[in-house]
Amino acid sequence: MSRAVLPLLAVLVLALMAGSLLVGPARLGLGESLSALLAGGAEGDAVALVMQEVRLPRALLGAMVGAALGLSGAVLQGFLRNPLAEPGLIGTSASAALGAVIALQTGVAALHVLVLPGAALLGAGVSVALVVAIAGPRGGAMTLILSGIAVSAFAAALTALVLNLSPNPFAAAEIVFWTMGSLADRSMVHVWLALPLMALGAGMLAATGRGLDALTLGEDAAEALGTDLRRLRMLTVGGVAALVGSATAVAGAVGFVGLVVPHILRPLVGARPSALLPASALGGAAMVLAADIAVRLIAPDRDLKLGVLTAIVGAPFFLHLIWRLRARLA
Amino acid sequence: MTLMEVQGLTVRRRGAAVLDDVSLTVAGGEVVGLIGPNGAGKTTLLRAALGLVAAEGRSSLAALPPRARAKAAAFLPQGREVAWPVAVEVLVALGRAPHRATAGGLSDADRAAVARAMARMEVAHLAGRPATELSGGEQARVLIARVLAQETPLILADEPTAGLDPAAQIATMEVFAALAAEGRGVVVALHDLALAARHCTRMVALKAGRIVAQGTPAEVLAPASAARVFGIEARYDDSPDGPLFQALRVVSREVP
Repeated sequence: MSRAVLPLLAVLVLALMAGSLLVGPARLGLGESLSALLAGGAEGDAVALVMQEVRLPRALLGAMVGAALGLSGAVLQGFLRNPLAEPGLIGTSASAALGAVIALQTGVAALHVLVLPGAALLGAGVSVALVVAIAGPRGGAMTLILSGIAVSAFAAALTALVLNLSPNPFAAAEIVFWTMGSLADRSMVHVWLALPLMALGAGMLAATGRGLDALTLGEDAAEALGTDLRRLRMLTVGGVAALVGSATAVAGAVGFVGLVVPHILRPLVGARPSALLPASALGGAAMVLAADIAVRLIAPDRDLKLGVLTAIVGAPFFLHLIWRLRARLA
Repeated sequence: MTLMEVQGLTVRRRGAAVLDDVSLTVAGGEVVGLIGPNGAGKTTLLRAALGLVAAEGRSSLAALPPRARAKAAAFLPQGREVAWPVAVEVLVALGRAPHRATAGGLSDADRAAVARAMARMEVAHLAGRPATELSGGEQARVLIARVLAQETPLILADEPTAGLDPAAQIATMEVFAALAAEGRGVVVALHDLALAARHCTRMVALKAGRIVAQGTPAEVLAPASAARVFGIEARYDDSPDGPLFQALRVVSREVP
């Protein structure tokens, strides 16, 4: 069964990407959309524009953001040996959100389309430096969690402060909507901004598989098996920050993906941390693509936010997982 | 052949020495029993020898690069941690980590080593079971099998027999004895002195971070020595069935 998981997930992601390309307010035919996407302008400029400038970046970002969150969640859970770990745990998403919120509040976000995501990335970068500095060079899983929580809480408090002091209710509303997470109205500029950082982060996390497997036996055993724990921690924190920072920068806060996806897929891959990484990346992409299709279908004219939907679906699902765990322990 | 050599190993925690100037050499063919009361420094000695904790002094193993060290010595920690419900054979195969290439799956040699280790610890029938759903004793044997799969010249085991039933305790010590007979070395921290007396070729007694006695089981577990190290009155007999050790009563319960 575990051999079939990756191909099945890959097919699912491709199908959902195709679905994402075909769903939208402009009612375009199937053949029409695809030929406009590929040929570019053959059937009139408007269709090509919608496909290439609106739907393609949205589908690509859905897959990228989802994969980033799923992969980050799987790596963090493996590194911390805790199924409750999620990508926000080390403070990156809260700090990225703070950077974006400051950019929105001060109005610099209006200067250029890249200022907002840039500020979010800056926030993410600062948080990583802080977390690593607080946790110390040899810090284990526990110090990392605690410093992540501290940085997260501080960033959330500063975000609240910015909202609190916001003189303009429209700016406050804009900030609140931004933090709910969305893939609407993104362009290829966002794709090109996120892509190199996400590739870097994914590359770093891809190198953690063996170390995470060894960590199944605990830190002492893993180190005695030849795992360089400092390097593993550096790869984990750096990779997660690059992925979550860039995902938050282009899509805002999209919760529960990084927590729930590894949880669902773990039993299907035999629970091995290294096997969970590619599966969670694909599973995360599938979940975000599906949620982003759903927000367009459920309320086409209300701009339902992606992060709201993932939380509404994710939280009850998570309760269900806890329920099952309770039943097994009883 | 010398498999491990530590000299003047000292570990300080908040200024106090929890391991104090310990020197120890282990050669192939030996099963060295590391004994001593709680807090004597047995675990710290094993961890410091492997370089898992910062220490003063010299340790031949800690001086090696991580991968070379993992090929030279395998470590069974005291805490039996299994974080994820992976299959037993997957868990045992983790012992192959230092031998594997950076990419690709297990080689035939890896699979053979895993099969040998599982057979030796009599856990082959558990191969497909999730390691987190085993009984405590089964899990302990699986984790020892992981250490055996590493196929290192030296094994450092911290309380490998704790929580095992008598048959499994004896079987485990006999596996260590068989490894020693093959020319490998084993250092094993033990609380069960009777078990140690029967299966160790040499014993090292620690107390308050220092080596306070070492030699054959008969020397280290002699009444005077047992009283000094553990504060117990004990009986040690060389019987036709081999050495028999029995703790009788507490003579002094001094805090070290």
